[in-house]
Amino acid sequence: MSNFLATSDLSSYLPIFLVTLMAAGFAIANFFITMILGPKRDGKVKGETYESGMVPMGTARKRFNVRFYLIAMVFLVFDVEIIFLYPWATTFPNLAHGDSNAIIWLSRIFFFLLTTVVAYVYGYRKGVFKFD
Amino acid sequence: MDKPEFLTAQLIVNAVVVALTIHVMLLTVAYLIYFERKISAYIQDRIGPNRVGLDFGLPALSFLKNVIGLGQPLADGLKFFLKEDYTPSKVDKVLFSLAPMMSITPALMGFAVINWGGVWNFPDFTIPLLNWHIEGGPVQVAGANIGVGIIYMLAIASLGVYGITLGGWASNNKYSFLGGLRATAQMISYEIPLGLALLSALLVYGTTMPDQIVRQQVSEGWMVLTQPLAAVIFFTAILAEANRAPFDNAEAENELVGGYHTEYSSMRFALFFLAEYAHMLTSGALFTLLFLGGYHLPGSSLPGLDLLSPESTTFVAVVAKYAVFFTKVVLVICFQMVVRWTLPRIRYDQVMAVAWQVCIPLALAHVVVISVALYMDWRAPWQLFVANVAVALVFTALQGRVGIPSTNKRLPLYGSRFSPMPGEKVVTGPTNPVALEDRPVQSLHAR
Repeated sequence: MSNFLATSDLSSYLPIFLVTLMAAGFAIANFFITMILGPKRDGKVKGETYESGMVPMGTARKRFNVRFYLIAMVFLVFDVEIIFLYPWATTFPNLAHGDSNAIIWLSRIFFFLLTTVVAYVYGYRKGVFKFD
Repeated sequence: MDKPEFLTAQLIVNAVVVALTIHVMLLTVAYLIYFERKISAYIQDRIGPNRVGLDFGLPALSFLKNVIGLGQPLADGLKFFLKEDYTPSKVDKVLFSLAPMMSITPALMGFAVINWGGVWNFPDFTIPLLNWHIEGGPVQVAGANIGVGIIYMLAIASLGVYGITLGGWASNNKYSFLGGLRATAQMISYEIPLGLALLSALLVYGTTMPDQIVRQQVSEGWMVLTQPLAAVIFFTAILAEANRAPFDNAEAENELVGGYHTEYSSMRFALFFLAEYAHMLTSGALFTLLFLGGYHLPGSSLPGLDLLSPESTTFVAVVAKYAVFFTKVVLVICFQMVVRWTLPRIRYDQVMAVAWQVCIPLALAHVVVISVALYMDWRAPWQLFVANVAVALVFTALQGRVGIPSTNKRLPLYGSRFSPMPGEKVVTGPTNPVALEDRPVQSLHAR
């Protein structure tokens, strides 16, 4: 079975490097091809910001709703939590049934989840998840 | 020159699969756009693109002239190249050019760890001229055979949000800015239910390696049957992740023109467009791998039909598995398209409310229940199914009782008859005498 398991050495990441090169190459090549092939015409009105044909009012660099910021913060809490759960999720089910360690693994991770649930409830009571 | 140590049969197959699949993907993405137009046309009782053939104007190829518009994607692509690549004067020029590239690159990278063709028993061979002997043996027909497995896909898929955010910000356009903000908030919000649904699937698999995942589904049944709740949450999340309808508020035409790509033209716009479809393809492949049994089809364990079983490692079997896998992915995407053209767009606050008030608690409860089930050693498919259904039913019963509103709140709107702004006098019915006269019923009463 050892052949089916991925090697942990860095050379197994070489194809990732290859696919990165190919994807980035596709993006850059497209960008330059259209730059060369396309026509070039410019004008004062053409360069204006599109605002449904009206004369643009002010700039888009304005303050925006703080809710997006809150979402980003809460997202960080949850995302980091989930990342920590993946290694557990791939090892925990492989413990044999009746293993004395299993209850410790389970309760520790439940405690960890509980901290996030507390954060969720706090955010909920504070109205972070309300969007109207 | 000696053979470098890392040059194994596995690496060669990986490189070939990467080089092949990225081209297959780009071609498929082009034709997915054609599919989308055709499907939407049939749903709306139209014909769709049916004129452009594959004859390229050559008389020798005139038999390819009437091929239900199959030349349309190629013509569209060529036209994108020949259009003006315009940069408006008020944009942040560097970021404006960088954003589409940052959008397409991760979208084309994510597929790498997908195991398209199972295991191939690679023959021994010697590279001519260099005289390097490559030792054969079973190799994974995947783009990359790395230890993190499908976690790589999540990592890469979440990079796609940068391109959209930057595109929205750099455009210096209010529509783009709002579209970018919406898309960012929505994508990061739905990443959490996506990750949690994946977690409950991984808990049952106990591994992140694609090949092992498919093997377990071959022996214990597809995950979509054993864990339907996880599949539903996952599918909802990948729809929202790719900004697909009914969650396509980022580019809601009636509100935001084109969303984050309002100011883009030519190939730079097309890169955003391709990225969306490549993202769909990647997430469809992940869904197929996790929940639809990968390359496996029912009945492939019978004798005589065992081409698709994990044990057959010939080249023909690998090609057949690749074809089956890709067909499944395309079918998943066709389902996403039917969803897009069937369901109306959900309002933005509802999209976010579904993510944070429904999907995340539900997925979290699901993970807890599945891990308890595994602790109690309830691993049989029917037990997992019962656990899924139980979580879904209990959550539905609790909804509306623990602060999650199950009905829509009426937002006060200026000029609305049903929910006017506070203090606003609402006039129902016409006030103009001419309009009154136009109404035959009312004018009858007046007489």
